[in-house]
Amino acid sequence: MSLREGYVEATDAYQLPRLIRLAPNLYAACFTLMKMVPARYILRRAEQEGRLGPDTVIIETTSGTFGLALAMQAVHMRRRLILVSDPVIDDRLYRRLVDLGATVERVPPEAGAVPGGFQAARLARLAEIRAELPESFCPEQYTNPDNPRSYALVAELLVETLGQIDCVVGPVGSGGSMCGTVTNLRSVLPDCQAIGVDTFGSILFGQPDGPRELRGLGMSMFPRNLDRRVFDDVHWCSATAAYRATRQLHQRHGLFMGPTSGAAYLVGRWWAQENPGALTVVMMPDEGYRYQDTVYHDQWLTDRGHLPFTLPERPTEVEHPIPVDSGWACMRWGRRSYQEVMGTSPALVTGEAGA
Amino acid sequence: MGVGYAPAHHGELLQGVFEDEHGRLRRALVTLPMPERGSRAVFYPCQHHWGIVGTPELIKVRRAALLTLRELATHPAPAKGGQIEITSDVPHGLGMGSSTSDVTATIRAVADYHGVRLPREVEGRLAVRAECASDSIMIDDRVVLFAHRDGVVLEELGYRLPPLLVVGCNTQPGDRVDTLRFRPAEYHPDEVAAFRVLRAGIRRAIATGDVTLLGKVATASARINQRFLPKPVLDDLLAIGRRLGAAGVQVAHSGTVAGLIFDARRPDRQEVVAACREALTGLGLPITAVIRLDPDASTDWSTSGASTASDHSPRRTPADPREVAA
Repeated sequence: MSLREGYVEATDAYQLPRLIRLAPNLYAACFTLMKMVPARYILRRAEQEGRLGPDTVIIETTSGTFGLALAMQAVHMRRRLILVSDPVIDDRLYRRLVDLGATVERVPPEAGAVPGGFQAARLARLAEIRAELPESFCPEQYTNPDNPRSYALVAELLVETLGQIDCVVGPVGSGGSMCGTVTNLRSVLPDCQAIGVDTFGSILFGQPDGPRELRGLGMSMFPRNLDRRVFDDVHWCSATAAYRATRQLHQRHGLFMGPTSGAAYLVGRWWAQENPGALTVVMMPDEGYRYQDTVYHDQWLTDRGHLPFTLPERPTEVEHPIPVDSGWACMRWGRRSYQEVMGTSPALVTGEAGA
Repeated sequence: MGVGYAPAHHGELLQGVFEDEHGRLRRALVTLPMPERGSRAVFYPCQHHWGIVGTPELIKVRRAALLTLRELATHPAPAKGGQIEITSDVPHGLGMGSSTSDVTATIRAVADYHGVRLPREVEGRLAVRAECASDSIMIDDRVVLFAHRDGVVLEELGYRLPPLLVVGCNTQPGDRVDTLRFRPAEYHPDEVAAFRVLRAGIRRAIATGDVTLLGKVATASARINQRFLPKPVLDDLLAIGRRLGAAGVQVAHSGTVAGLIFDARRPDRQEVVAACREALTGLGLPITAVIRLDPDASTDWSTSGASTASDHSPRRTPADPREVAA
């Protein structure tokens, strides 16, 4: 038995999830900041391979937690970081990024009106900045294979701690965490099932594009890092269902997590009940602090029509990706490609998970 | 004179690249020891000649003897040189560690002459220097993840392997792998990532005595190895394993032997071994070993007909004495 040691870098401590037992056959993998896993791995690997020299500027388009993770790792590595974001970036996140020394470039509000919207404007601005820099490195979380690869760290922890894992449930955005964790787990446990949690209005698994209230999962673009052939089942969760489950997770287990964790908990809890002989792990990507004025605020929920909660105890099973009134749908995906399920192939472009 | 003995092995349970304590990737493996076979070395000192000379095929043995003499140079009465005699029942060229057991037995024989037992880590380091890469058969008091080209222990995995029963065969009878000429595997970054998970799996399997998990790790390692030194019959072995409820399949990553891994605690183990032997023989694959690593093992093997004696010459019979003259 080896003695526990202190962490050399905060980002190392931040990247590892805590595994918490919610039921005899149900575990939660609770992250403080899950995006730290790919951010740290991508930057350190780039440095080791000489793609990230001492004067190289790290630049990425993001207005979410991946940027925060990059900013923290950039502090350890003493690199400059430029983040290109939407005009509407969460103010507290903005202040934190600036405090970490990152330069946050916001594209102008009018950019949202042109075709391609903010995403296109951000990519254009990123290209402009890179052209002016002698040395730059873009982590590209939506296309970089190091993103899924980095989650071997999580699979390693799961196997060492639990041995047998029969099913992993988690929210899907870039595809990195679910595809990376499950693919690596399957190197030892080839029968492990994967359940992706998406939301209505997200096109990732074939729903028609539409407005999405639930942020941090789902997308309006197709990230190359999402390999749909990893998934056995897909669930779509409404914001209301996710918020209710988030609060239940807090009330029943004392776990203070964000709404994507709640959505995954809703699905994982149901699946574990349906499969008592199988061990299920639920991925929970971030903590509840950013949502204290929203998901954890009853008045906010009431004003938005999320309270009182009235939801079914089980998902509506569908044969094809379509919205359902119940607010929770599931479909047997069967490790198929988008083409195999939908009959058309998705245009591979990078996207933005929002949040 | 001095005498030394070292066992053979039957390939590996896991082989790949793994991070050391500084985060540097190193090639490393977990050996499947095979205590039933081995090499015995006798060292006859000579005070008239410096060094050890002999026939070319025993170059690694001579190198090991010289390295050990150098290691013991500060001993009050070191031998100047000498002669090594090897007696071994380990088949050559199958990935069963014939040269490693020769080399390790030699190191032990030279040390024995000096009245010394070298620490196992030192034996490992000397063996790797003598033959470039070496399995970790000399570290016989615990299970280790061994950097076989650096001669260092990356991780101590436990005191012993779970209770395993391995039925081994030669997957390519007639073919031989030249261990020295065989080029080391160039692993893809995805494979390097997967090795982290395999390492976690074997760590847990050994800590908890989980044969099922150990079998899955060995199978995963065997599958990755298919890109580098493929076993054409791997799928057949896996199919036999599924039929007989095996935990997995292990292979020699630089040789031709492979084995089906069973839980030695199974009440029907004797029937399973018999069925496995029949299935392997049916594929034309000669049985190389029935290894039982079980601390609680009774002696039921002597009467079960499952011992390896019928397939090979009796244990430790000096069938192939190879001499090195000084």
